[in-house]
Amino acid sequence: MSSRCPVSLLFLLPLTLVACHRETRDYESDALLSNDRPVAFGANAYHLAQGQRLYAWMNCAGCHAHGGGGMGPPLRDDEWRYGGSMEQMVATILDGRPHGMPAFRDKITEDQAWQLATFVRAMSGRARQDMLAGRADEPANVEPLTLDSRKPVRRVTPKQDDATEE
Amino acid sequence: MKRAFAISAVFALGGCGGIQSAAGRDGMEGSLIGGLFEVFLWTTAAVYLFVLAYLAIALVRGRRHRREAAGLQGQPPPDADRKWRTGLIVFTGATALILAGLTIATWLTDRALAKAEQDSPVEIEVIGHQWWWEVRYDDPIPSRMVRTANELHLPVGRNARITLKSNDVIHSLWVPNLAGKQDLIPGRIADLVLHPERTGVFRAQCAEFCGLQHAKMALDVTVESEADFGRWKAAQLRPPPVPTGGGALAGYSLFQSRQCSSCHAIAGTPASGMVAPDLSHVASRRTIAAGTLPTTHANLAAWIDDPQAVKPGNNMPEVPLTEAELGAVTAYLETLK
Amino acid sequence: MKRPPMWLVVVLAVLIVVIVGGAIVLGAPDRRRDGPFGLRADQVAELPQPAARARPARWYEAPEPDQWTTQLGDPSGSRYSPLAEITAGNVGSLEVAFTFDTNNARGHEAAPLVVGDTMYVTTPYPNDVYALDLTRPRPTVKWHYQPRPLQASQGVACCDVVNRGAAYDGGRLFLNTLDGQTIALDAESGRELWRTKLAEINKGETITMAPLVAEGRVLVGVSGGEFGVRGRLTALEEGSGAVAWRAYSTGPDAEVLIGPEFKPYYAQDQGPDLGVHTWNPDGWRIGGGNPWGWISYDPELSMIYYGTGNPGPWNPSMRPGDNKWTAGIFARDVRTGKARWFYQSSPHDLFDHDDVNESILLDIPFNGRLRKVIARPGRTGFFYVIDRETGQVLSADPYAHVNSALRIDLVTGRPVVNPEKMPKPGRVTRNICPAAPGGKDWNPSAFSPRTGLVYIPHLNLCMDEGEVDANYIAGTPFLGADARMYAGPGGHRGVMTAWDPVGRRPVWRIREDLPLWSGALATGGDLVFYGTLDGWFKAVDARSGKLLWRHKLSSGIIGMPMTYRGPDGRQYVAIFAGVGGWSGAIVAGALDPADPTSALGFVNALGDLIPRTEPGGRLYVFALPG
Repeated sequence: MSSRCPVSLLFLLPLTLVACHRETRDYESDALLSNDRPVAFGANAYHLAQGQRLYAWMNCAGCHAHGGGGMGPPLRDDEWRYGGSMEQMVATILDGRPHGMPAFRDKITEDQAWQLATFVRAMSGRARQDMLAGRADEPANVEPLTLDSRKPVRRVTPKQDDATEE
Repeated sequence: MKRAFAISAVFALGGCGGIQSAAGRDGMEGSLIGGLFEVFLWTTAAVYLFVLAYLAIALVRGRRHRREAAGLQGQPPPDADRKWRTGLIVFTGATALILAGLTIATWLTDRALAKAEQDSPVEIEVIGHQWWWEVRYDDPIPSRMVRTANELHLPVGRNARITLKSNDVIHSLWVPNLAGKQDLIPGRIADLVLHPERTGVFRAQCAEFCGLQHAKMALDVTVESEADFGRWKAAQLRPPPVPTGGGALAGYSLFQSRQCSSCHAIAGTPASGMVAPDLSHVASRRTIAAGTLPTTHANLAAWIDDPQAVKPGNNMPEVPLTEAELGAVTAYLETLK
Repeated sequence: MKRPPMWLVVVLAVLIVVIVGGAIVLGAPDRRRDGPFGLRADQVAELPQPAARARPARWYEAPEPDQWTTQLGDPSGSRYSPLAEITAGNVGSLEVAFTFDTNNARGHEAAPLVVGDTMYVTTPYPNDVYALDLTRPRPTVKWHYQPRPLQASQGVACCDVVNRGAAYDGGRLFLNTLDGQTIALDAESGRELWRTKLAEINKGETITMAPLVAEGRVLVGVSGGEFGVRGRLTALEEGSGAVAWRAYSTGPDAEVLIGPEFKPYYAQDQGPDLGVHTWNPDGWRIGGGNPWGWISYDPELSMIYYGTGNPGPWNPSMRPGDNKWTAGIFARDVRTGKARWFYQSSPHDLFDHDDVNESILLDIPFNGRLRKVIARPGRTGFFYVIDRETGQVLSADPYAHVNSALRIDLVTGRPVVNPEKMPKPGRVTRNICPAAPGGKDWNPSAFSPRTGLVYIPHLNLCMDEGEVDANYIAGTPFLGADARMYAGPGGHRGVMTAWDPVGRRPVWRIREDLPLWSGALATGGDLVFYGTLDGWFKAVDARSGKLLWRHKLSSGIIGMPMTYRGPDGRQYVAIFAGVGGWSGAIVAGALDPADPTSALGFVNALGDLIPRTEPGGRLYVFALPG
């Protein structure tokens, strides 16, 4: 009889986890009202997931591919022509930039721009691992963020041609 | 007997099941399968009652035998073996016959369902999104294709073959009054054939959990006469006129220049967004937001003003509009009949 | 249980290894590299006999030796010069005569023009023009014109901010800018005569093509098939820049300039307003069909021939129907713009197979008599020979590896699409050949009347493509597909094929490691010149394909070679080095090879280009020593 008491106490252990903070989905984008928007958006997995959806919907992928670039520069590396902080990325998205980035101010809302910046930040490897989703909300043709690893910037060096004279 | 009466009483009430009732028999599929269900129900009810009766008899007779056996010296009645064998044969035979009968009934129903798919159906494509339905009416002439959202119009008495696709997660289309469920699975193409037999307005909904607003992903199904259906389709093909003045014109300009046109499309205007419901004839629909709210001025305004309050977590953002702008956009949308 | 004997165990083990290993080896896609590539030609067939050869059109006149006034060399599109000072015998000693730096690090696709003793050089964005005085041994800049196009136009150019060159006529130079203006300059002074705006960058419209001048009209198309731009060809008055006519590629017949004189050969192209009815409602307004490639001109028939680009979006399920009049060839009256016939090489295009490649106007013997045809290596991977009076396809044979279409049905004119290679929603379709840039993209081939062969610098690429939803927002890409490309069977990514249009087969082939994105040049010295993406400029024997000479340039080559006789009477060959374009975007744009879908899928095929070349525009002009 006495050996059962400590065992049953063990069953109470999970109750200690009740106090842990669980992230809530910020539907109303209350993060916009926060004093520290980069953290309010940038540390929130819901906003990251929404940014991932908007990246495809707003045709960002058309110019920047899945971070590798194309018509627009790559977003996965650590070179930022106009600044790589969250505020700078939001300004880039909303106001556009001189050499071809269109202005999305009247095409998306401000909280959507922050969500996109959160996702772009994750593409360049600066998001917390526990925020990344194992899959997107839609079938995708590229690997999920959890499997994506940021590559260092490659330097271009000329090399001798491979083909040798026969 | 009392139980059977109770069951049939429920079905009698089923006719008053309303616009979203699995007991409704408004479509051919529903009627056929409902009929088969009744065959099964009565047959198995009869078998059940028979077994109960047999059990009751066995219990009663068993008690009598025990009382008699208390007086006798314990040999079972001489013809018990033969009775057992006969009984077993009869039971097995009856079960086999009943099962065969039910199988034939099923087969006949299936055949009836399959045969019905052969006449020229209305070809519809339904693409499930989180959390709304994209509906396309296909036509051999592509420019006569109709693209709408969250509503189905079907001509009574004619088949409608619905091709089901999804681009994000698994949904399921369920029109309880007309037919069973069919899943919309990303990467797969499924078929559902409906053959409505009675005109009316019904409500369908998503029947596979698909995320935050799965509960508010409904579809209005209107079954109407062939002539009415033709009129509806012709109206859908006509692009709505661009407003000429007043609040509606201001609303039109706002719609084209602000966030609305990034996601929504309105025929005959530059707005060609494809990730959200087509709004070309939104004012002619009974409900908005996939069956969440009836289409009224107040509901339209409330929805545009704060979609997250109506359907938290859905993909429409809260577009910042002043009171006047909101009124103008609502006025414009109300002209889109 | 008794243990099995040792010999049985050994036999079984060997069998298992052989069977499993064989399955792995045989089942693997053929992507091994046979290398080294680019040094040898494979002989496939005999050269055609003179009587059985394709020949230039009856009215064809070779360009003057000291002139190269249009990018394709002459209106028939042959890229041929009769200059024969440089021959197969002496080309081995070809050396650099002079170079000219443009100080521009984007893709240089144009060829310089030469008129008399002046050379005209155009650059990619910002589309500067230089006039060089060739009378000096080290040419000097006579004048330098800067159109200053809008900076923001760089953001809506799908495939690097290239420019495919200028055109010269009657003392005037004509060019297009990235932000959609056509400009006429006085060739002598560089003074701007007129400029006409033809495109709106906020709608994703740009212009990268070279104009063509014919019968007093300057013909200019538009780019933007990846942006949902509605394509059109505009003819401007040569003297004033006023719009003479404009023919759209989609929409109602009145806007496509289709009238009673329109007589398409095939039944599927006949009917009223097909540019509306073969689309979902309003789909044609954002439907693409941009003519951004080559235009050829027949002065005898007064007709022009040009192709229209891909329909938008890439995702085909969003635009049911044949999507006329995209991905096909128009024949129009150059004076009025009215269409005479149309042939669609990709009805309801599934793979971004624009049809804007060059049409070379030839006369070929067909079934006993000489037919006037256009010969063109299409994006679909088929080499088409089409009667240029009626639009009938006389032959269509694959010059590249093709599995997306089984064949072209010559009765209906339609490709028989391989159902396995059709894109499906929510799925990735694998190993589609040719890939999106096709059997060959814009870079033009050359025709030599001496051999009767068309020299095609092309591709050997396949791709995996996955459909996604496309969304239209004006000024942003309208695609709906992710692609990744890789080498086709054999492991080589480019091919130089010498094709016999009459015999309908290749005569010789050079397999190249990298995709060929440069144009070709054929000369009277029986030489063919072309360049590779890692900077090798090569001269091969026109008859056998034997490599006779090559020179490594400072940057990859995506330009078009040209040749001229200088004021000193010597023959010069000029080519731009300056990697970029769609294929070279990984270098010109410094893209990240870790994302295979970058540059619309090209980065997956060219990750190894980064260490092999550097960006930087430089014109090289070669001559024999002495």
